[in-house]
Amino acid sequence: MSRRTLVPLLLLLVVAMLPLAVNPFILNVFALSFAIAVLATSIDLTGGYSGLMSLGQAGIMASSAYGVGIAATRYGLGYPLQILAGLLAAIFVSLLFGVMIMRASGIQYLMVTLAQGMIVWGLSIRMYSLTGGENGIKGIERPPFLDGDIPFFYFSLGVLLLALLIKWLITRSPLGLALRGLKDSAVRLNMIGYNIAFLKFYSFVLSGALAGLAGIILVYYNRLISPPAAGFTMSGKGVLAVLLGGIGTLIGPVLGAVIITYVENFLSGYVARWPTILGLIFVLAVLFARTGIIGALEGITGRITRLVTGRERSST
Amino acid sequence: MPPKFFLTLFLNGLSLSALLYFMAAGLTLIFGLMRLVNLAHGAFYLLGGLVGISVIEITGSFWLGFVGAAVLMAAFGLFVDQVLLKFIRGEELPEVLLTWGLGIMLSDLAILIWGGQPTLVPKPDYLSGTLSMWGFQYPRFRLFIVVMAVIVGVALHLLLGRTRIGALVRAGVDDREMVASLGVNINAVFTGVFVFGAALAGLGGVTAGPLVGLLPGDEGRVLLLALSVIIIGGAGNLTGALVGSLFVGVMTIYSQTFFPEFALFSLFGPMALILVFRPQGLLGRKP
Repeated sequence: MSRRTLVPLLLLLVVAMLPLAVNPFILNVFALSFAIAVLATSIDLTGGYSGLMSLGQAGIMASSAYGVGIAATRYGLGYPLQILAGLLAAIFVSLLFGVMIMRASGIQYLMVTLAQGMIVWGLSIRMYSLTGGENGIKGIERPPFLDGDIPFFYFSLGVLLLALLIKWLITRSPLGLALRGLKDSAVRLNMIGYNIAFLKFYSFVLSGALAGLAGIILVYYNRLISPPAAGFTMSGKGVLAVLLGGIGTLIGPVLGAVIITYVENFLSGYVARWPTILGLIFVLAVLFARTGIIGALEGITGRITRLVTGRERSST
Repeated sequence: MPPKFFLTLFLNGLSLSALLYFMAAGLTLIFGLMRLVNLAHGAFYLLGGLVGISVIEITGSFWLGFVGAAVLMAAFGLFVDQVLLKFIRGEELPEVLLTWGLGIMLSDLAILIWGGQPTLVPKPDYLSGTLSMWGFQYPRFRLFIVVMAVIVGVALHLLLGRTRIGALVRAGVDDREMVASLGVNINAVFTGVFVFGAALAGLGGVTAGPLVGLLPGDEGRVLLLALSVIIIGGAGNLTGALVGSLFVGVMTIYSQTFFPEFALFSLFGPMALILVFRPQGLLGRKP
């Protein structure tokens, strides 16, 4: 078994054993971090491979959470239907937004996706009869079999694994190759017969569906949904997780999300100014740690391998 | 619905447009020239407003507050450009992310310094109260904001259209490599525009901030409106910023009044249509 498959499997084994080792508080932080990890995974699906980073992805995540909340409290639907409603809401919003980004690229793509996230945030505040305004929707019950810290931990871990599996399958498929092509040279991709606009639309909707999964974890974790889930800072956390962990990797965004969520929950007990620290991490990561943790680790393991085997690293 | 009410709303819309123009003019030039979406622009607006009010309170002079906000935000813009942005010039995603982090930090630090309470600008007598004209009353301060925006707008158009510096900026928006190859120090032009944009945002903050909101957190709303101005009007184009500001400002006020729950759709709808059928914006040029 190669290192590339062994390391993630070992990591997964360690994570799956966590409930045996840590207290409920930390376990809950992990469950929450998996929601951010799924969000980061969805951002990285387009951002890491095609270079089109969505800066408003939390808006789509929140749409799914609101879908669950509305289905649960307003219509009293059962859990499978709540989850279905959430995913459909995320996909519906992605379809709408996807049409808007079809012809955008580069810097304009960033600006439009940012505005999209802010629109969902604004709507969630304004459409109070549907969303409860600033207070949000409260009293969303977890399914009975997920009540308790340990079952919920495994539920969110399961959703994360599902998201990672989907991302892995996509990046290995012809679609994944086309996405890489989009990053390298959209013009050539167009020349060999790809429909660029449709490719952007399609991948955006797929990544939106993943963000919908994140919303499902989030809403059941908090048992409520309110506008900050769609906000500027939440999207920022997702993007920062991608950046910090390693852009265009499977594990990187997950690592980044776990670190950010842990640091946030740890620090917010001691300092009142958590957003300042989040912003500072952002600035420092952009200036000094562009390759992320995975990039740094690969650099280190590469160096060790060279030391041990005495060979130069082969060019990849 | 009496026509006076409509007129009042229209004027309210105009004063929001005026604020948006202060924001969008800088943002659109920075976008057009540097290919940078400055997400700290909302924070520049917030800081400018708060700093300006502090200056007014300390010096007791209303007009010094404006000068203070503009000068201090210009200095701050210079700092951001030279200390942070300089090192990642031309890398689109890192630039956006850096200004994003900066914006989150600044708005949070603003709470630390000024607190989370709404602030009002202490205004001189001749700008308070209402102005009556033909039996129609309107707050003087709102009219003052519109007049300020008109003055700044005319000055900007003259600066950009009639001077050598303006010509350099316009040429840079069209083709920066070409300008650079003609021996112009394009990086200096970048810095100049960034500093100028920051000063404008600060000026906007102290002029119109108290009307729209100077609470930390409000800058997100203002930034959203300013971004939609650019998307609708077309990036890198002052006339586009003007048209976009007028449209977004007036539309926002009318829709907030008549269907508050769906007010954002009046923004979202036109924006979506423009992105699908005319991605470069109403007055933007094809890339």
